[in-house]
Amino acid sequence: MSQASEGSRSLHLSQLTKEFATFTAVKALDLDVPHGSFFALLGPSGCGKTTTLRMVAGLETPTSGSIRLGDTDITYAKPYQRPVNTVFQSYALFPHLDIYENVAFGLRRRKSGDVDRQVKEMLDLVELGTQARKKPPQLSGGQQQRVALARALINRPDVLLLDEPLGALDLKLRRAMQIELKRIQTEVGLTFVHVTHDQEEAMTMADTVAVMNAGVIEQMGAPAELYENPRTTFVANFLGQSNLIAGKVLGAEGDFVKVDMHGITVSIPQERAHVKTGDGWVGIRPEKVLIAAVGEDIDAPGNHLDGGVVTDVSFVGVSTQYLVRMPWGQELQVFEQNTGRRRLFNKGESVDLSWRPEYAFLLDASQDVNAGIEDD
Amino acid sequence: MPRQGKGRYTAYWLLAPGAIWLGLFFVIPFYSLVSASLFDPNGSVLTGYDVTYHFANFGNAIKNYYPELLRSLWYAGLATLVCLVIGYVLAYAIAFKAGRWRNLLLVLVIAPFFTSFLLRTLSWKLILSDHGFVVDTLQKVHILGSDGRLLNTWFAVVAGIVYNFLPFMVLPLYASLEKIDGRLIEAAGDLYANPFKAFFKVTWPLSLPGVVAGTLLTFIPAAGDFINAQLLGGPGQRMVGNTIQSLFTSTQDYAAAGALSVILMALIVGLVMVYIRRAGTEELV
Amino acid sequence: MTDNGGLSRRTMLKGAAGTAFGLGSVLALKGFGTSGLKQDPATCRATDESAHDKNFVISNWPLYIDEPDKGYRSTLQDFEKQTGIKVHYTDDVNDNSEFFAKVKNQLGACESTKRDMFVLTDWMAARMIDVGWIQPLDPAKVPNLHENIIDSLKSPDWDPKRTYSAPWQSGLTGLAYNKKYLKKPVKQYGELLTRKDLHGRVTMLTELRDTMGLILLSQGVDPAKFSDAQWNTAMDALTKATSDGQIRRFTGNDYVQDLSAGNVLACEAWSGDIANAGDDNLVFVPPEEGMMIWADNMLVPNLATREGNAEKWIDFYYDPHNAAKLADYNQYICPVKGAQKAMEKVDPDNVDNPLIFPTDETLKQTHRFMALKEFQTREYERQFSNVTGV
Repeated sequence: MSQASEGSRSLHLSQLTKEFATFTAVKALDLDVPHGSFFALLGPSGCGKTTTLRMVAGLETPTSGSIRLGDTDITYAKPYQRPVNTVFQSYALFPHLDIYENVAFGLRRRKSGDVDRQVKEMLDLVELGTQARKKPPQLSGGQQQRVALARALINRPDVLLLDEPLGALDLKLRRAMQIELKRIQTEVGLTFVHVTHDQEEAMTMADTVAVMNAGVIEQMGAPAELYENPRTTFVANFLGQSNLIAGKVLGAEGDFVKVDMHGITVSIPQERAHVKTGDGWVGIRPEKVLIAAVGEDIDAPGNHLDGGVVTDVSFVGVSTQYLVRMPWGQELQVFEQNTGRRRLFNKGESVDLSWRPEYAFLLDASQDVNAGIEDD
Repeated sequence: MPRQGKGRYTAYWLLAPGAIWLGLFFVIPFYSLVSASLFDPNGSVLTGYDVTYHFANFGNAIKNYYPELLRSLWYAGLATLVCLVIGYVLAYAIAFKAGRWRNLLLVLVIAPFFTSFLLRTLSWKLILSDHGFVVDTLQKVHILGSDGRLLNTWFAVVAGIVYNFLPFMVLPLYASLEKIDGRLIEAAGDLYANPFKAFFKVTWPLSLPGVVAGTLLTFIPAAGDFINAQLLGGPGQRMVGNTIQSLFTSTQDYAAAGALSVILMALIVGLVMVYIRRAGTEELV
Repeated sequence: MTDNGGLSRRTMLKGAAGTAFGLGSVLALKGFGTSGLKQDPATCRATDESAHDKNFVISNWPLYIDEPDKGYRSTLQDFEKQTGIKVHYTDDVNDNSEFFAKVKNQLGACESTKRDMFVLTDWMAARMIDVGWIQPLDPAKVPNLHENIIDSLKSPDWDPKRTYSAPWQSGLTGLAYNKKYLKKPVKQYGELLTRKDLHGRVTMLTELRDTMGLILLSQGVDPAKFSDAQWNTAMDALTKATSDGQIRRFTGNDYVQDLSAGNVLACEAWSGDIANAGDDNLVFVPPEEGMMIWADNMLVPNLATREGNAEKWIDFYYDPHNAAKLADYNQYICPVKGAQKAMEKVDPDNVDNPLIFPTDETLKQTHRFMALKEFQTREYERQFSNVTGV
């Protein structure tokens, strides 16, 4: 697999823009994907992530901006001239060719030698060595997906683009393929750019995730960083779930920012407070919120909220999810691990809530509190 | 049980109209034709023809009319090839490039069917006439000599066949091109195939069912056609259809006419079978 | 073992079924033979319903009768008015052989064609009379016919007393050319076969008797009396001219368009067609070697139920005035004596038209084609058809 590192270069998008007749799909996008990384472009449908991918593949021409691979500008190169390959959403396997010839397609076009050995190796890698002479429609969805992957991978592209490659698979198979893809990526060491709308998939697989919304990247970073410290309401809501509570900044106090939240003063670490004055959204992940009966001690030295009433309880096995109505009328989500040490609360019970200040974050009040919440 | 008994015959009832139709208009005429090919060649319409199993009729028909047989296959083959080239470009443009004009263009392809076959062919006499626009232009640019002509030449006959059968080529081609997933062509480009390679490695093989259907739908009727040769050709452009027609109606030599028809039929069936086997398409059947 | 037995039994059954089907087919083929077509007009005839059935059905060639126009009443309208008979006139005769094929199944089996009359050229009329498909006319009911028919048409050898037939129109076959495109006129029929400046610009007619008659004439042979050797020489000339590309096409009535458009410079032509074409550039030329003369004949087929009406129709058109009106439109030779005189009133311009009223001088130059035996007809037609493709 040493071949991969030679000539492999990192991908740079700068000020990349794509306008269609009636809307702008991608707005002045800047992105650097380091060589050898597993990069995920995450966002809801219509956010511009697929358009971005198609511009990298050469299937769409950018309106402005540039795409570089290392030092080479490939903005206007023809698709067949770029060292970039794609795993298409619907696989787009050639139905008239058998699996072997599908995988060999790219090698044959480039008049590569030693086709037979390479194809056999690649089919073994995706564990389809015995299916070589079947036609695509004779394979299952997961097998077809692996053929599509093999067909792209065999060309050792500088960048491998994956367009929702697991979207058509059922949940169980998808989980298995996620692990498989990650294994293969580690093994071959190529740059993977993976487009998906599934936040869990993105976080499971990618080293770096870029969250895209309405043609721009909202935030980019390692999955844990994005999750723990979202910068926008969109990221807070789209990656997992968040309680966002309206508040007013009182001022800084040491490493913390003090916020008045419906009469309760809460602390938020400086580096997690993305506004320093005026109004803001206090954010806290549901699993970070602790719940206790009124007056009971809560093992969380920090922000304390009284007067909650349980309005809904759903027991999901590993955890219990509560909805708690606060005195100002808002319902907060609380997830509690079923450690077995605590009893379940019932609907209508009065409870106190609390969280450690270092888990909370503060967002700009001008952002839409519901951004990124997907209607299911 | 009663339900079953009742349903058992439904299939036969549904088949009956088709079977009766085929019996009346295919099986009986077929036997009649084969019997005519075995008539006593010394019979006549006035004295009557006996079926004497005179197999020599076939040999005589081939001996007397092999130029017309070969010419028919040659004209039909050439016309089919020209139809394929023109039709493929047209169908490709309609399927992939026409956008919102697609339906209009499809209607235009079949629009000639709204006028009679005969009238359309006759209008080609005007188009290709010796003092018409086409010949004048070709003479001016010295493609044709000053006394050159198009009407009543092989060119006019083949052009007429191409024109008349083009829709039979375009429609099946369009149907199979239109089914091709555009993403496959994108995938080919992504996998280092330039547009030329992408066409020959992906688009063309995927359109083969349309190519096979279109060439058959063009070649078979073209090989038996006689209107184009009669109206646009001359004595040197007679096709086997003309000969069969004149043997039946003018000379009234039913034995020769029948034998020649059976030979033509066998020839076409044979060629088509070889062709389909070669093309290897199961989609046809 | 049982499987094996079942399989071989099935194979045997299939084989037997196949053999039976094959044998059955071979035998079935026998049933498709055709029987002879000869009939006897004396027995294959219907009772005449003319007394109470005032209808009359006739099939004729296209553009062969005058049509009503503003201020002009056609002869057909005159006939209907005069007799009270409703005429059902169809122009579905395009070609003698084709029409023969159309009616042969009925007439050959003594079944009705649903027609009371059709009009066919001499040789086909002769053939149909010969096989007994045509009803004799009652001479007492067609007095005008026997009174007025012109001498040259009075007694053809195939119907010497005009018992079965009455000429509708007669015509000449000769040459025509387009003077707009051809500056050097054609005078002889032989020029069509040989003149280099006409190469590929010549058409001839698909009527064997016209075309071969004129070739025979151009070779100095009388088409009314020729030997097989002379026929062969004429056939060779035609074959050569055709394979050389001298002759562009063999045509029916449709040669006029090609001549008018200039696709054809000179051709074999029927006299009336050229006069009727409405193109002043087209010239009909009687070839110096002589012309063929022919007539199309009204015939009453077996099982016609209104023979009386048909006879009234014949008698009507043998009235000189009616004949003059028809000829004035058709421009073909009028078969009726006295029509020339009547023409003075109908259309003085045409009184001396040689195409309608040929002089004795002209008629002397006209020829008829030899009556052929059935076997000759077949052999000659086969040869002719092999060259012309029709």
